[in-house]
Amino acid sequence: MGEHGYDVVIIGGGVAGLTASIYLAGKGFRTALVSRGDPACCLSTGCIDVLGAHEDPMKGIDRLPRNHPYRIAGRRTVIDALEAFLGLMEERGLPYRGSLGRNTGILTPIGTTKTTCLVPITMEASSGFTTTHIHVVSFKGLRDFYPSYITSRLANTSVSVFDAGTSSTLGLATKFDEPSFVDDFCAWLSGLELPPGKIAVPAVLGLKDPKAVLQRIRASTGREIFEIPTLPPSVPGIRLFRALKDAFLARGGHLYWGNAVASVETRSGQVEAITMAGPCRPSRAHARAFILATGSFVGGGLFAQRGSVRETVFDLDVKVPGPRRDWFLNDFFSPGHPVEASGIEVDSSFRPLGCGLKNLFACGSILAHGEIMRHRCGHGLAIATGSAAARACERLLS
Amino acid sequence: MSTRTDVIIIGGGATGCGIARDLALRGVPHYLVERGDFASGATGACHGLLHSGARYAVRDKEAARECITENAILKTIAKKCVEVTGGLFVRLPGDSKRYRDEFLKSCEATGIETVILSPSKALELVPSLNPAIEEAVRVPDCSIDPFRLCLLNATTSRRLGGNILTHHEVVEIIREKGRCVGIRARERLTGEIKEIRGRIVVNASGAWGDRVARMAGSRVPMALSKGSLVITNHRLTNVVINRLRPPSDGDIIVPNEAVCLAGTTSIPVDSPDNLEIDPSEVDTVTTQAEQMVPAFGTTRLIRAYTGVRPLLKASGTEADGRSISRGFQIIDHKNGMISILGGKLTTYRLMAEKTVDVVMDVLGFKVPCRTAELPLEGQDELSGYPLSKRLSKLDDIVCECELVSRSDVQRAVNAMATPYVGDIQHRTRLGMGPCQGGFCTYRALGIMQEMGRVDPDVSLSILKEFLQRRFKGIRPALWGDQLREEQLIESIYMGILAMGQGHG
Repeated sequence: MGEHGYDVVIIGGGVAGLTASIYLAGKGFRTALVSRGDPACCLSTGCIDVLGAHEDPMKGIDRLPRNHPYRIAGRRTVIDALEAFLGLMEERGLPYRGSLGRNTGILTPIGTTKTTCLVPITMEASSGFTTTHIHVVSFKGLRDFYPSYITSRLANTSVSVFDAGTSSTLGLATKFDEPSFVDDFCAWLSGLELPPGKIAVPAVLGLKDPKAVLQRIRASTGREIFEIPTLPPSVPGIRLFRALKDAFLARGGHLYWGNAVASVETRSGQVEAITMAGPCRPSRAHARAFILATGSFVGGGLFAQRGSVRETVFDLDVKVPGPRRDWFLNDFFSPGHPVEASGIEVDSSFRPLGCGLKNLFACGSILAHGEIMRHRCGHGLAIATGSAAARACERLLS
Repeated sequence: MSTRTDVIIIGGGATGCGIARDLALRGVPHYLVERGDFASGATGACHGLLHSGARYAVRDKEAARECITENAILKTIAKKCVEVTGGLFVRLPGDSKRYRDEFLKSCEATGIETVILSPSKALELVPSLNPAIEEAVRVPDCSIDPFRLCLLNATTSRRLGGNILTHHEVVEIIREKGRCVGIRARERLTGEIKEIRGRIVVNASGAWGDRVARMAGSRVPMALSKGSLVITNHRLTNVVINRLRPPSDGDIIVPNEAVCLAGTTSIPVDSPDNLEIDPSEVDTVTTQAEQMVPAFGTTRLIRAYTGVRPLLKASGTEADGRSISRGFQIIDHKNGMISILGGKLTTYRLMAEKTVDVVMDVLGFKVPCRTAELPLEGQDELSGYPLSKRLSKLDDIVCECELVSRSDVQRAVNAMATPYVGDIQHRTRLGMGPCQGGFCTYRALGIMQEMGRVDPDVSLSILKEFLQRRFKGIRPALWGDQLREEQLIESIYMGILAMGQGHG
């Protein structure tokens, strides 16, 4: 078995775990990140929902229940973390836009408005989509995008369809990574007689450098263009994930990808080491601190059994809202089913309660009382708590 | 404007469709009117078992005899609907040995062939069985596809001039001088009313029997009993597994296509509409099924469903659902309406035959029934489940769970000219897999919009309605990987598509 030593090991490669890892690696700690595989972030819109339920997310934080992870982190930490995120994404060439003091609305594939806070630059022009003509471009055979959902709801729209010879969003994104394809697309677009207004495309404008694709199309058509987020797997979600992962590697972090934690070793109130099982030989990593960022049910950090919920790595106590019959409400569209309050309760330093492990921290959607669907605070909560847990961990390590 | 015919059948379950085929083969003009799609009542909500009759042999010898006879007939005429799985009755430690003796005796008396298997023989046949079983009895149970059965029966009716109107709800039975002379039916989506005049109205509406009879000024005594079942993500057994004990909750597991169904519960209900499944019913069924097949407890359940048994109330008793006979009864109301009540999926053909015999008497025709000898039409065109075919155009797949392609959907939409996405799901199996249409219904509706079959304006409300209906079945059985998937689906509709934020 391979044997490795670190200052800190982060378990879980989603937005929370990556945020914590980037912070700690950036501070010069020997940092390792262990992940079973691509995170749930790749299934997301890539937008940073901070607090969709309030017009001003920052003001809204103070109105959340006291046990909400944002309240534990504190408003200042949330702001610092999101500003650091904006700086980081600028550095990675995938700039995000938006104001922490005011939510924005972007167009969805069914013509509704999604409330969010920070959006990738490819969706910036989506804001205020109802005030101008929108020309929707679709791709022949694309299975996850049907413009009629949009055109039937929005008055001032038109549609044209480009044949790119592939039917998946990922296939299209790969095509947009080739400059010659972008040229062909631009030539086709320029040939259309479009009324003044904006162009909307499903989110497929390349995985490598969408900013350049955006600029190229803008230059050749003289029009604003924006992406509409699509059903999973999602190109903007994958871009966000890759940008964060690359930022971590650029800071000298060590990555164990495709590795599940097979066992943990604890002694006298400390986590000592974890054993990882992956595609290669198993290895053991010991560290001075550990951060748990394995996500909620979708990410696999929590697993529901017929009558209880289990935390999958350390078998920590999980706060569950009552018996199974109470987990879900009858109405599918309820603003949040009780089950999503499930998770790990933490102290003010983001250490899990009741386990007595002083060098273990938790962050992201595994935290109890997050209620991400109800508050619409997905990636915002991951960034804020990832950063807060990393800072608490930094204090322990220094 | 009204249409004329001889017989109007109300109800598109197995019985109604069986009656339509029988009438067609005897040359009688008819209309069938169904509120939803085929099999949307008890037919589609049962466990898809073609009974050997063994389950009823002890208590109800007549029903058992009917079952074993019809079992043999359907195996011959409906080959593409029946999977000849065989069945086992397993006796677990603590199950009465006396009941077992009585069971064997009753099977013999009713002509149901049994073979006693030792635990090791039974485990050889079904390796997933609880190794602690005391013994197993093999019987000729099979699994049957109720929806397909309805479709094929309707095929013959249509070919011979019968008219079948699905998605039409009967809102009135027209009476003149106290006699039923026709019906008015409303198309569900457009609200258009059609008037059909006929000489006889056949009430084959199952659990809705009393409601329909009332429209004709009559009553039929019914004891409605709800039965809930669960569906696993994959097959755990290729043989039907019954518990060798008196009928009770959770005593059967039936393999069906790629999944297993387990049931049932039996709870009296007042109305056949708006049924809810309580999570405790799922627990009961799962716990019981787990005793016969231990892996059941850890297998992913994709959803639960429930149906109402259209049982006849025995006169003067308030008997519970299980002790009521599974036999059927035909009531001539002497006002132009004939009701067919009770019975079960296995005996649908016999029920149809006897009903049509009565109809023929009333009409004064004399043509013998031929439904037992002629194979169901249209079976040759059924594709079965050829994986090679489904995988040949991978790029075109819109339902990844069941491997249904865009062209499959387009073909079904064109063939049926239907605005109902449910019709497409039933006929292509789109949305029947683990995600339960979470991804592909949005796509199917999008394709229907492109084809001009669904008004894009209403497509969001259709999608919304679908998601609510879907959740009703999923909610009671949500844990494990299914809960995980459900959280993802929720994040798609609530997060990415922003439904439920006061839009759409």
